[in-house]
Amino acid sequence: MTQTTARTSGPSVLMRLRAIATSFLARRILKALATIFIVVSLTFGLVRLMPGNPIETYTFELMSQYNMSYQEARDQAAALMDVNLDAPLYQQYFEYLGKLLKGDLGNSYRSKGTSVVSYIKQFLPWTVFSVGTSLLISFTLGVTLGMLMAYRRESWLDHILSTIASLASAIPNYLIAIMLIVVFGVQLKWFNVTKMRGSLSPGMTPGFTWEFFADAFYHAALPITVYVLTTVGTWMLSMKSSTVQTLEEDYVTVARARGLSDGRIMTSYVGRNASLPLFTQLAISIGFVVGGSILIEQMFVYQGIGQQLFKAINARDYAVMQGIFLVITISVVVANLIADLLYGVLDPRIRSGKE
Amino acid sequence: MTINDGLLVMTKTVLEVDNLSVEFPARRGLVKAVRNVSFQLYEGEALALIGESGSGKTTLGLSLVRLLPKTARIREGRILYRKDGEEQDVLLLSREGLRAFRWRECAMVFQGAQNAFNPVLRIEDQFIDTARAHGIRDKDKVRAEARELLRRVHLDPDRVLKSFPHELSGGMRQRVLIALGLLLKPQIVILDEPTTALDILTQRSVIEVLRSVRDEFKFSLIFISHDLSLAAELADRVATVYAGKIVEIGNVFDIFEKPRHPYTQGLTQTVPTVTGELRELISIPGSPPDLIEPPKGCAFNPRCPYASERCRQEQPPLEEVGDGQFAACWNWREITERKPL
Ligand SMILES: Nc1ncnc2c1ncn2[C@@H]1O[C@H](COP(=O)(O)OP(=O)(O)OP(=O)(O)O)[C@@H](O)[C@H]1O
Ligand SMILES: [Mg+2]
Repeated sequence: MTQTTARTSGPSVLMRLRAIATSFLARRILKALATIFIVVSLTFGLVRLMPGNPIETYTFELMSQYNMSYQEARDQAAALMDVNLDAPLYQQYFEYLGKLLKGDLGNSYRSKGTSVVSYIKQFLPWTVFSVGTSLLISFTLGVTLGMLMAYRRESWLDHILSTIASLASAIPNYLIAIMLIVVFGVQLKWFNVTKMRGSLSPGMTPGFTWEFFADAFYHAALPITVYVLTTVGTWMLSMKSSTVQTLEEDYVTVARARGLSDGRIMTSYVGRNASLPLFTQLAISIGFVVGGSILIEQMFVYQGIGQQLFKAINARDYAVMQGIFLVITISVVVANLIADLLYGVLDPRIRSGKE
Repeated sequence: MTINDGLLVMTKTVLEVDNLSVEFPARRGLVKAVRNVSFQLYEGEALALIGESGSGKTTLGLSLVRLLPKTARIREGRILYRKDGEEQDVLLLSREGLRAFRWRECAMVFQGAQNAFNPVLRIEDQFIDTARAHGIRDKDKVRAEARELLRRVHLDPDRVLKSFPHELSGGMRQRVLIALGLLLKPQIVILDEPTTALDILTQRSVIEVLRSVRDEFKFSLIFISHDLSLAAELADRVATVYAGKIVEIGNVFDIFEKPRHPYTQGLTQTVPTVTGELRELISIPGSPPDLIEPPKGCAFNPRCPYASERCRQEQPPLEEVGDGQFAACWNWREITERKPL
């Protein structure tokens, strides 16, 4: 009796396990978690491989700023940071992992008492806002212009736009930022670079007011412009080549033969199919929101997470660096996951393949 | 209404192609894909266009609905469409007029229709799309109509309507496209090699389907194929196309029993083999002509066992060789019996 139940429950548990292992979603999530774990561990090691450490960096800062002696400065730095960097590395590592599992990213070494989580909460939204907005603008603009180029293939418009697109995507974003500041800000004085610094004007309180949004956009305008200028070209060229290919498809010719209007063909037949591969790219670029912002936020003094990462690296603030890298990792991994799932939703051929 | 008995006087013309020439610019010169083609399509008849690969059949078919590739140029000619006593030149239609003409008046089912459907839309939506483009907004009515048509082509409407194109087999897609072609009850249906990509059994079923829907809906059919035996099953009249020209046209019995053009004769003498492709290779020695510089005189002369000096110099006109049968051959009188090429 007991034997039979054991026998029947055995395979069913096994089968359920196998079902989980073979389920597409479960597999992807497991893979994502593994990726995050590996990157977290690597980050932990790598930040500590950088020359110098938080206490030393701060010590030298104090020495040069306040003319302290080395010993004096070092004592003060060590007192401030309250971290034991002499503990064995594995001990620090497991301590870090243990806290991480509880959602505790530790405190900033430099600003005592400020938790890394609160840091991220304070600065990440600005980066997400500025880079997110630019991604949206860039994607929409790129897709529209790319389709236009494909429809007017070989016309002067296509040639001009192609040239601009390749140029724009070839110039590094910090160069465009410098050009923007130097040429339009300083030389031509089209806008006041100093006033546009920061993510909000002093005294502005966040809230659902028109002034707040206007101010937020005003301060984000320059970073957004740079992000859009440097990414729109890639979208344009991808969309153009994808559209050119789609226009050759039989179903587009058949749609014409069916007497569908040009507008309907352009949106539901050409546009929808041609933009499919771009949605994967879009999701992946969302993952690079933070990474792409480091230099630009620094240059425009925009108070986002990128600028904080820059500061944390300079101060060797391991806790903050680890926290921000964790955010980057998670966003890349999650974006990839979303990209895969999204593609399945948008493209029925893949949807049924996975079921 | 059949015209096999030669009662052509009784029938109305729905489409008249008059001296149509289509060219493609190529590096070496102009590819003359369709050369001075004229023919008439009668109400309710099935006309087969038969010819070797590259003879210009598809180009001819595409020009009837003006869906030629961008590079193609219609050098001359008229395509007159007649309905309810009115006549329009398809080549002169406005953008909107052309859009309305397509599918509602003349539906074209393409060669290799495997990718004829938008991969991201359900079949149902593509039926509704088509109807809406022609001003029919009642979705339920369209759905009901689509169901009926799908049943006519031996498909399960419930399953097919909810499917995405990739979920259907090639033969199913072909039949769905035929059903879609009949949705607006067009006066003319053009089928370009509707069975080429299919296996023998599916070919048979598509042919059966075509036969039965034709009996029911009474549209005029232009059937493009390189396979004469298929044409024999469906067509009332047959036109053979060689090097962009119609070289012979007549009713199906005459074309089979007493072809007057050596090319037609070659096609009818083909040895039936399992695959259509092989048959062509066996039948007519020599290779298809260069369409950039077609041979002087009759384009078929280098491959023709009857070729005389005149054939190498002068192009033969299409002349009446029998009751409603026309052939473009100087020596058609000699071609009375079957003679191996
Ligand atoms: N887009 C194009 N550009 C240049 N030449 C073309 C183009 N389409 C067709 N042609 C040429 O026109 C000629 C006729 O081609 P077409 O497709 O009409 O032949 P077909 O009789 O339909 O052949 P098949 O039986 O293989 O379908 C061929 O010589 C082909 O090379
Ligand atoms: Mg063809």
